Amino acid sequence: MPRPRRDLLAAVLDRLLPANGELPAAGELGLAAQVEEAAQACPQVGALMDALPDGFVELAGGAKDDVLRGLEQDAPASFAELVELAYSAYYTDERVLEHIEQSTGYPARPPQPEGYQLEPFDDAVLATIRRRGPLFRTV
Amino acid sequence: MRGRPPEPRLLEDKPDADVLVIGAGAAGAVVSARLSESGVRLVCLEQGDWVRPATIPSGSPDWEARRQTTHHPSPNVRRLPADYPINDSASDLKPLLYNAVGGSTIHWGGHFPRLRPSDFRVRTLDGVADDWPLDYDELAPYYDRNDERVGVSGVAGDPGNPPRSPRPMPPVPLGRGGELLAAAFDRLGWHWWPPDLGINTRPDGAGRPPCNNCGPCDLGCPTGARSSADLAYWPRALRDRAVLRTHARVREITVDSRGRATGALYFDARGNLRRQRAKVVVMACNAIGTPRLLLASRSKRFPEGLANSSGLVGKNLMLHPVAMVTGLFDEPLEGYKGPFAISLVCQEFYETDGARGFVRGYQMQLCRSSGPLGTALGSPYPPRVDWGADHHRIFLEHFGHGASLAVTAEDLPDERNRVTLDPTLVDAHGIPAPAIRYRIGENTAAMIEHGIGRATDAFTEAGARRVMATGLIDSAFHVLGTARMGSDPSRSVSDRFGGSHDVRNLFIADSSLFVTCGAANPASTVQALALRTADHILRIRRTIDAPA
Repeated sequence: MPRPRRDLLAAVLDRLLPANGELPAAGELGLAAQVEEAAQACPQVGALMDALPDGFVELAGGAKDDVLRGLEQDAPASFAELVELAYSAYYTDERVLEHIEQSTGYPARPPQPEGYQLEPFDDAVLATIRRRGPLFRTV
Repeated sequence: MRGRPPEPRLLEDKPDADVLVIGAGAAGAVVSARLSESGVRLVCLEQGDWVRPATIPSGSPDWEARRQTTHHPSPNVRRLPADYPINDSASDLKPLLYNAVGGSTIHWGGHFPRLRPSDFRVRTLDGVADDWPLDYDELAPYYDRNDERVGVSGVAGDPGNPPRSPRPMPPVPLGRGGELLAAAFDRLGWHWWPPDLGINTRPDGAGRPPCNNCGPCDLGCPTGARSSADLAYWPRALRDRAVLRTHARVREITVDSRGRATGALYFDARGNLRRQRAKVVVMACNAIGTPRLLLASRSKRFPEGLANSSGLVGKNLMLHPVAMVTGLFDEPLEGYKGPFAISLVCQEFYETDGARGFVRGYQMQLCRSSGPLGTALGSPYPPRVDWGADHHRIFLEHFGHGASLAVTAEDLPDERNRVTLDPTLVDAHGIPAPAIRYRIGENTAAMIEHGIGRATDAFTEAGARRVMATGLIDSAFHVLGTARMGSDPSRSVSDRFGGSHDVRNLFIADSSLFVTCGAANPASTVQALALRTADHILRIRRTIDAPA
């Protein structure tokens, strides 16, 4: 993707996923290249980028959002593809996952091989339902 | 009829088999194991392959993103070599299927409920649809045998279902979301119970460990704690000398001049066309794959497709419509921990109550929640977190704070809902793809609306800060009913044991057999029926009219 086009995509990503405290926005994180590569399999995303007006990058934030909302309304399926690509790049980025771990305690690692600990099932919770009689129709 | 390219050279497989099973999924695995342990010379053809634990992405940094690509639940998105396209443009719901050794159980949540007695007598009890040609009591011993073979975790004593034997292993943990909803159901006076799952909660003594609560069962189970059919049945079948050929895509079932099945033509991994002859053919390709193959197996004797004198092959497709209701709580539920698909089940509204304005009923299955990407995308549990200035605030409100109730409705059989052969779409081997037509009926729509209301009530009672009903999701997790069982050959495709009315040495063993679908996940019933069909084949094998 030529540099101006990637800058355009980065500007879009910044609006979709803005800065979050100390964490930069998605475009500033440098995720445009990853999204661009993934978008090669989604021609409708390219068409969306083509539909952005000249001067989009220079618009104020609110005006950019208005343009994007308009695109979303006009081409909801294509816009959903773009959002999916943006979220996929963002929420698999190490920096974002570490930020989430700091915010929520969710471990910044894949589920396997460690898994997670949960309290085992306690039979005592069945006390009330056990007192009910049969609840199925007999035939 | 579209023209075919010139026939490739045909290679003959030797030796002939006693039984040819088509499909190595939930049903095919059961039939293959049961027949092989009795000394039957069996060949199974499977168009997919084994799924190696190392290829399961739940240990990869991009594990969540893989749900959008290589591990997407829809074959039309995934487009792996083993997939075939499905024209679902005329369907309200898009079927989710997987071709592999183990079939769709490879991406299975493990939920293993049984149908209820009333599910087998819908016509008698509620005046709609049809009765099954067997009842719960006849199938119960097969449920028990299959539970023992699979290794089910859960707890006996559910008042919502007939008594059953003690479960081999305790239930999976409820998690905080399960605790809150269980208490809410108790206060509401509604049924709930921990689910029977095909997931180990203890070492099973056969080398398979307990579940480590990693979450995304849908991506596969790298530890082997989940009892997918490739683990629960195929090792035994292979030990008993079943022959399993993978990358083997069947093109058609062959028949002789007397209308008996003689085997199948299939494409092997190199694209060669081969013939495997057999005395008996068992189809286990699921309720889309089986009618597809039957319809594609036309001949002069069977111009409307094989086993289709009733005209019902492909018809009465049922898809278990599901609506999702998500509750968000102030306290963290950490729902990304534990088997993703379920922590408890509510069957309070399972049986017909005419006062509700519909017949039959639904089940509510409490699902856990997703990792960060899944939460943001609203996949698999909607809704999506919107982009923009409020995204991060809303994300934190959702992530780890939600649980979802999946309202699974019993849809009634309707002959207009069907599987046919697409006139132009083909798979990679030029075999006509299936086309499905499916519309949600009025009874189902009323049922879904009621279920959304009750699920909302449940979350409200549980103390959810916000309840979001995203309504019907467009995925169909279960496919059923397209080669139904019955005693009347004019109104059914197969007899009470899955034997074709038209072709006496042809059997159907998968979810195609379902006469009605109940509101319970079908895997347990599919396997119990398959076990029963296999036992029947063993009883009558010396009297089956089979080619020499």
